[in-house]
Amino acid sequence: MASASRPNSLEEDDDDAEEEVQHFDDFTLASSWERFISDIEATCRQWLADGPRNLVEKGAVAMEDSKNLFKVKHDLKNVEKSYCMEFYFQIDDNGGQQAGIDNWNSNSHDLQLCFGVKDFLLIAPQSASGVLLDSPESSKLLSSVAIALSNCASLWPAFVPVHDPSRKAYIGIQNMGTVFTRRFEADRIGSQVPVKLMHLEGLYELFISKFVYSGVDFSMHNFRVHFRMRLTYQTFPYDEEDEENDMDELMDDKADNAEHHGSESRNKVHWDDDCPWSEWYSAEDPLRGFELVVTWDDRTVENTMEMAELENASPHEAEKWILHPILSPYLGDPSRGKRIDFASQLLCLVEALDMSFTAQFMEDFVSVEYPSSENLKTSLVIPPQTVLDRVIKDLFHEGSKLPDFTKGEHKLSRALKAAPLESLFTQFCLHSLWFGNCNIRAIAFLWIDFVREVRWCWEETQPLPKMPNDGSIDLSTCLINQKLHLLAICIEKKREMNEEFLDCIGSEDSSDASVSMEEHPKVDKRKNTSSEADLQRKRDSSIAEDTSNRLRFERKTESTNSVDHSPTYAMRRGSAGPVGTMMLLKSHQRLHAPFTQDPPLMTEDMHEERLQAVEAFGDSLNVPGQLEKDILLSDMSAFKAANPDAVFEDFIRWHSPGDWESFEPKTTEPSAASNTEGSTDQWPPQGRLSQRMSDQGNLWRKSWHDAPALQADDQKPLLDPNREGEKILHYLETVRPHQLLEQMACTAFRGSADTLNQTNYGNMKQMTSKLEQLYFIIKSTLGGLQRNNLPDRAETVKDLRRLCVVFEHVEKLVTVAASLHRKFLDASRLAQVIFSEFYGIYVPLMGINSNDEENKSRTEMEVSRQEVTLRERQVVSNLFSPPSANQSWRKVLSMGNLLNGHEPILREIIFSTGDDVNNGIHYAAAADVAATSDRRGEEIETHRMYVSGTSNDLRVALSVTSCD
Amino acid sequence: MGSSSGQPEFDYLFKVLLIGDSGVGKSSLLLSFTSNTFDDLSPTIGVDFKVKYLTIGEKKLKLAIWDTAGQERFRTLTSSYYRGAQGIIMVYDVTRRDTFTNLSDIWAKEIDLYSTNQDCIKMLVGNKVDKESERAVTKKEGIDFAREYGCLFLECSAKTRVNVEQCFEELVLKILETPSLTAEGSSGGKKNIFKQNPTQTSSASSSYCCSS
Ligand SMILES: Nc1nc2c(ncn2[C@@H]2O[C@H](COP(=O)(O)OP(=O)(O)OP(=O)(O)O)[C@@H](O)[C@H]2O)c(=O)[nH]1
Ligand SMILES: [Mg+2]
Repeated sequence: MASASRPNSLEEDDDDAEEEVQHFDDFTLASSWERFISDIEATCRQWLADGPRNLVEKGAVAMEDSKNLFKVKHDLKNVEKSYCMEFYFQIDDNGGQQAGIDNWNSNSHDLQLCFGVKDFLLIAPQSASGVLLDSPESSKLLSSVAIALSNCASLWPAFVPVHDPSRKAYIGIQNMGTVFTRRFEADRIGSQVPVKLMHLEGLYELFISKFVYSGVDFSMHNFRVHFRMRLTYQTFPYDEEDEENDMDELMDDKADNAEHHGSESRNKVHWDDDCPWSEWYSAEDPLRGFELVVTWDDRTVENTMEMAELENASPHEAEKWILHPILSPYLGDPSRGKRIDFASQLLCLVEALDMSFTAQFMEDFVSVEYPSSENLKTSLVIPPQTVLDRVIKDLFHEGSKLPDFTKGEHKLSRALKAAPLESLFTQFCLHSLWFGNCNIRAIAFLWIDFVREVRWCWEETQPLPKMPNDGSIDLSTCLINQKLHLLAICIEKKREMNEEFLDCIGSEDSSDASVSMEEHPKVDKRKNTSSEADLQRKRDSSIAEDTSNRLRFERKTESTNSVDHSPTYAMRRGSAGPVGTMMLLKSHQRLHAPFTQDPPLMTEDMHEERLQAVEAFGDSLNVPGQLEKDILLSDMSAFKAANPDAVFEDFIRWHSPGDWESFEPKTTEPSAASNTEGSTDQWPPQGRLSQRMSDQGNLWRKSWHDAPALQADDQKPLLDPNREGEKILHYLETVRPHQLLEQMACTAFRGSADTLNQTNYGNMKQMTSKLEQLYFIIKSTLGGLQRNNLPDRAETVKDLRRLCVVFEHVEKLVTVAASLHRKFLDASRLAQVIFSEFYGIYVPLMGINSNDEENKSRTEMEVSRQEVTLRERQVVSNLFSPPSANQSWRKVLSMGNLLNGHEPILREIIFSTGDDVNNGIHYAAAADVAATSDRRGEEIETHRMYVSGTSNDLRVALSVTSCD
Repeated sequence: MGSSSGQPEFDYLFKVLLIGDSGVGKSSLLLSFTSNTFDDLSPTIGVDFKVKYLTIGEKKLKLAIWDTAGQERFRTLTSSYYRGAQGIIMVYDVTRRDTFTNLSDIWAKEIDLYSTNQDCIKMLVGNKVDKESERAVTKKEGIDFAREYGCLFLECSAKTRVNVEQCFEELVLKILETPSLTAEGSSGGKKNIFKQNPTQTSSASSSYCCSS
């Protein structure tokens, strides 16, 4: 049977093959062929004996993109040439030879798909690409194999390549074990495919022609054949040219470009324009595009009309949609520096931090005299003045409204010693990242200008932008942020004082100054003169004699407390009103709460100084800090001023009610029920000081004795805005470079993380927890910074570089999550499964790359295909946006089944027709349909044709089973 | 448990903070612990500070104990003392119910707001158990509160010195068990996650490996 090779030819040149086969009977005479065949036979016997499992154990090679396909190899030699015989076999528990053919298994080997086989032999010349097999040689080779296989009773199909490898032409043969033999043949048209064969009708007719006698008019007869189709669509690829230009630009001067982008130099719309990072850079879309594979299940077609209809069918009518995201190669690429993102810029900042230890002041880095500035200057470029101006403008002059300081905040953000994302210092730090590629000279340049601008605000009493001018200092933030906050408050206080001063000058003439005074009740025009001597004078007389002030507060008292008609009301000053119905002990007067000075705001260094002072006092009780004593004294003074007849006990009753033990039923807290008359009746209140308060030598009593009656406005301020503000500017102007850079590093890391944290990526739990981890890692890595001394600078910098690697990974993940989310807004399930899969592949790499800095190898990123449910189809179909004008040149449209105007990039079709085993007729069993469907088990596939075509090439593979 | 004064060398320096309403006996507790005496003290003005040296096992410890004023007027000031504390003791007076209810209303919130140390050990102390007849808060209530807020709990008396030493000791022991806190308080250099052996590190670094 091996001698009877009768391939159905697809194309002309196969006629030669037929001729050659005729000579083939001679093979027994040629001893070299004999040896060759026995060599094949021996090998096949060995493989047969081993069986798949043993072959795998013996080292069969797994095929790359298939989980269960393996191959073993054997080298053959005959007189002229070396051949290589490969046996491909599949390991799966279920199914025989035919299993896995009907489904479009994407992992199938090309030959499996073409010919509908499972295990097979492939014999080819050793150097597959170099040596061409002409038809006679191929046939000879195939015959040898066929003989060998039949000798060892193997049923494996065997294939031999023909012609130029690019043609992917094969011939093959298979002994079916019965009287049947299958023959295989495949070829390809590489260009100028006949129009007829671009359409389904033509292909249908091509198939029919393989088993129907010629001369029959196809259109007149019905031939029932099985038809299956798989179409692959792809979203339009990225515009490669554009992309390259972008990359060039970026490489030339990434910083400058980054500063420019968004404005004049790039008008292109980026996929991430509304992503939070786009304010700083534009990321390449991690999803290059999508491939959609649409399959039509087996259906029976009877005539060309039906084929024409099928060609018009929308992909939405197909049974199955499988989506395959195409990831951008950069995702698997650990190339630091090539990409521009937060991670890359943070790395630059870390290098700047490392250098910052070399100088005393920031000015040193820009000065001409600085010794090492020569080599610095060459490598570290400072951007032009225009860029600087733009950054300063953005920081100081954009938007006077206070931003939302909780924006982007993660629950772990505040664990970092940094500043809120929208605050002035964070914005400065983020700008620095993109300013002159964040080298130390550029940073110094920007910082000096930044501080100059801050000083201008201070001198001109202009509000500091992006900073609140009230509230308390958040000590969990970095020192510079605290200082800027306090400065903003000082500027505000200074402004109030200036206004008050002007008002007072104005009020000398006008009799009514009360309006403005009530607006700023605590501001005193005499603040500069209220010295210690002044306090002394006040204490001695206890009655204020300054007429203008007196006038002022008489008015005030009148407005707040018109109820009190006691004779001493003229002396009551700085009252905030009576406290309930409380009465003084020694005078039939209401007890008034005074206006008090706010406790001074302090930045952390001020607290530290204070703690040190307290600590220096040593290990003894009752040495409160000076500041606390000052506050108590100030409260007492204010209380005395508001209640001229008060005694120490009265003060305690108001200030520390717990230390007054009242004898009355309604004690410390006068209830609202007790009316004026009632309390007047009960006067004087009965009670006594607590034990601890009544002790001799009690600090409180001593202080009470020392306190002058002075309303808060007349007291020396607990916080002098002029002094504090000046001190802050001094700090900013002389800050040690490494102290600045340490704070910048922390703040920039937080700012970048907070920016990423704003990304909308839907409900992807892995991303949420990854971001949380990022904050955690940032926190523990930055923990050593912003302390008094850095224990091991080299080690810290190394850690920070690693932190940048971690950051890069998380940043990439966020980009992927965001990109998926926005593409599958209405099919979040798809976004989530794809992301999960990507995450599963990517995260193990993160570990490798961040633990081993040297690992620079890239990894291919492939996520598997996802089945699209019916409900998700619309979303997926929307990914295929209708071709735009400049894409129209691609519209060859030689195939049907368009998806939003996209024609498939690949169309694969399998035609098949079966026949009753007992019915030896080879042409279409058109009349025998009922029988075949009833006795399906006995039907064998007589003809099978696999057609695979793009818009300009066509491959056809045919298997024919015949009875010899 | 020897306390030695003027001994400059120590292995760990821990900062401990005392908070709670005015008059619950914070200063008395501190005095009782550091100098074994009980006196009537003036109400604290702002903050007070004491150092105590302890030896636990092989380790020499320096405790810097900050006693804050419970009075509301000083609260804005005292908030800054929470910073960097490894231990915070919340004190209430078992004979005054309001000092107990204020713990959840005020003091627990202050800790959340101002404590910069997430791992910091919290301890609940009910003082003045010598006045058993006037008791207004049961021990059970104290235990329940401690469970809810995840604190250590003890009842003691600054006057009779019952449980006073135990209270500080338990706190210190717990701090010593917490790696992140001992790392901070250690007089040696600070450790970090990249240097540590992965098997030794706790939650902080396991998340770093990105394996979860
Ligand atoms: N019976 C009894 N009285 C106590 C105890 N501890 C403190 N006291 C008394 O309670 C009062 C307040 O004690 P302090 O130690 O001053 O209270 P504090 O918590 O420091 O108060 P502030 O400094 O105002 O916050 C004093 O009169 C103490 O004598 C105790 O254990 N038993
Ligand atoms: Mg006290």
